[in-house]
Amino acid sequence: MDKITIAWIALSFFAGFTIYLLPILSRWLALGVGIISLIYGIKIFFLSSPLDIHLLGSFGVNLLADELSSFFILTNALVTIAVIIYCWQSSKTKFFYTQIIILHGSVNATFICVDFISLYVALEVISIAAFLLIAYPRTDKSIWVGLRYLFVSNVAMLFYLIGAILVYQANNSFNFAGLTNSPTEAMALIFLGLLVKGGIFIPGLWLPLTHSESETPVSAMLSGVVVKAGVYPLLRCALMLEEIDPIVRFFGVCTALLGVGFAVLEKDTKRMLAFHTISQLGFVLAAPVVGGFYALTHGLVKSALFLIAGVLPSRNFKQLQYQPIDSKIWLVLVVASFSISGFPLLSGFGAKVLSSKNFLPWQTIAMNIAALGTAISFAKFIFLPRQKLISNSAEIAESDEQKKIQTGFWWAMIILLGGLIGANVFYYQAYTLQNTVKPLITIILGWVAYLLIFKKLAIKLPRNFEKFDHLIGTMSLMSILIFWILWTQLKFSI
Amino acid sequence: MMLEAFVFSTVLCGFFGIIFKQNLVMKIVSMDIMSTGVIAYYVLIAARNGLFTPILSNKDNIDYADPVPQAVILTAIVIGFSIQALMLVGVMKLSKNNPTLEVRAIEENNTNG
Repeated sequence: MDKITIAWIALSFFAGFTIYLLPILSRWLALGVGIISLIYGIKIFFLSSPLDIHLLGSFGVNLLADELSSFFILTNALVTIAVIIYCWQSSKTKFFYTQIIILHGSVNATFICVDFISLYVALEVISIAAFLLIAYPRTDKSIWVGLRYLFVSNVAMLFYLIGAILVYQANNSFNFAGLTNSPTEAMALIFLGLLVKGGIFIPGLWLPLTHSESETPVSAMLSGVVVKAGVYPLLRCALMLEEIDPIVRFFGVCTALLGVGFAVLEKDTKRMLAFHTISQLGFVLAAPVVGGFYALTHGLVKSALFLIAGVLPSRNFKQLQYQPIDSKIWLVLVVASFSISGFPLLSGFGAKVLSSKNFLPWQTIAMNIAALGTAISFAKFIFLPRQKLISNSAEIAESDEQKKIQTGFWWAMIILLGGLIGANVFYYQAYTLQNTVKPLITIILGWVAYLLIFKKLAIKLPRNFEKFDHLIGTMSLMSILIFWILWTQLKFSI
Repeated sequence: MMLEAFVFSTVLCGFFGIIFKQNLVMKIVSMDIMSTGVIAYYVLIAARNGLFTPILSNKDNIDYADPVPQAVILTAIVIGFSIQALMLVGVMKLSKNNPTLEVRAIEENNTNG
């Protein structure tokens, strides 16, 4: 199994460069890599004991693959396959597929590494590949959005590097386990780097612009899996070290509330989805033990939603109210929205129930508010007008043109939504009467709140915090905040 | 101790440069300064037990420098410089329509609308 793991990691990079040399095979190779990851993820899930690999002794690379990683790998594989199929008939060049597969490989690498330097390398490769994907259309806007992303994440990673060497100084090893013995500032700096990279809490406010301005398949990829590369190490640390667990949970709650607060008031479809990603990452962090399952369902549903948002006639919710959408698209949109709001029969429900069982008492109220906010923000999608028959011939011609692009879209939907229904098997115990009633009440309350209040509400939130200088500036403030939290926490525990 | 103070002031100078400089190229240069500080810190920590190059020889009890942080930072240097190259290419593209390269102007042109 050791050799298979290493070969699997190397495969995606090898395939990525091969695609560039053999453009004819590009789509097949990319799809093949996705399927191999899927098989590997399933295999890891059924391993009896976690796979622990030490390469080159204690100074070398440590890898760890267990159930938590398998959930993340499965998410990555399914989303990548769906995105490739979505792009199958489009005129994307070999360059695009190369970057997708390199991104896929490096995200996989973050999901199995347990030392800070391997993680650093994987995260930096992710930044580069993601930048190239964001800047793929080569417009000024896309280049600026990509540049901003690269800049913010690189500055964060510099702080992270300082933290990593402090861990090494204290332990003579870069392993995650050394975090407990290391000085507080080391933890604070590493946390800062990971929070920025994962798009969590205030330092994660770079995320809405980046995810909403990229092309549809790229935003699906970014929101579905790439942010999880920053979240996974935090989960892993929280599971390995008890002291860190409450801090990760605290950030989870803050993020969930912050993201949902913005999402409820947002009037643009893609920006709303991006803010909602922030809040869902909060849910993942709020219950580290079961975060993997939540991440899987969120990755699937969010990439599906981004792909759907790409085929809607407009990005503005106000305009969408007057432009009825095709009922087939409406149907998939509703299925995805129901899943994310936690409606029974879809695995979003199981994930929500499982997470809420693992919340600590002080988290429960805040997380219920966040769940209500989710229901409110997705009511915006559910209550969009729809139409069954297209009346005049001009529209039929137009829709035929759309359909040509959309065969790939439907296959991607089948994979993602099928995955959502299939993922129910992981936690079928959730289906009891008591568990079912609570999400239903939340959803109904959310809909009522939406129809009565939020539909008419027109508050424009300032976007000041998303300016470049502020993004960098908040990093320094956050590092102080994290340091302070850690310092008080650890002082009391000692 | 003294050296450590210098290293951290380099990092901070770079960080403040990123915040306060208006020009995008200057921001990238500041980021480079910051990463120079980080690299220097790695070298400093590698040298805390000794300065000799860690190569096996017949002599005993030599104060070797720690090779691990050096090996690690070599990777980080390469990554840092490739990212910088990539950023500068992006800046070159942007400079066609934004000749002043002021971040505020670029942001206004590219985020609203």
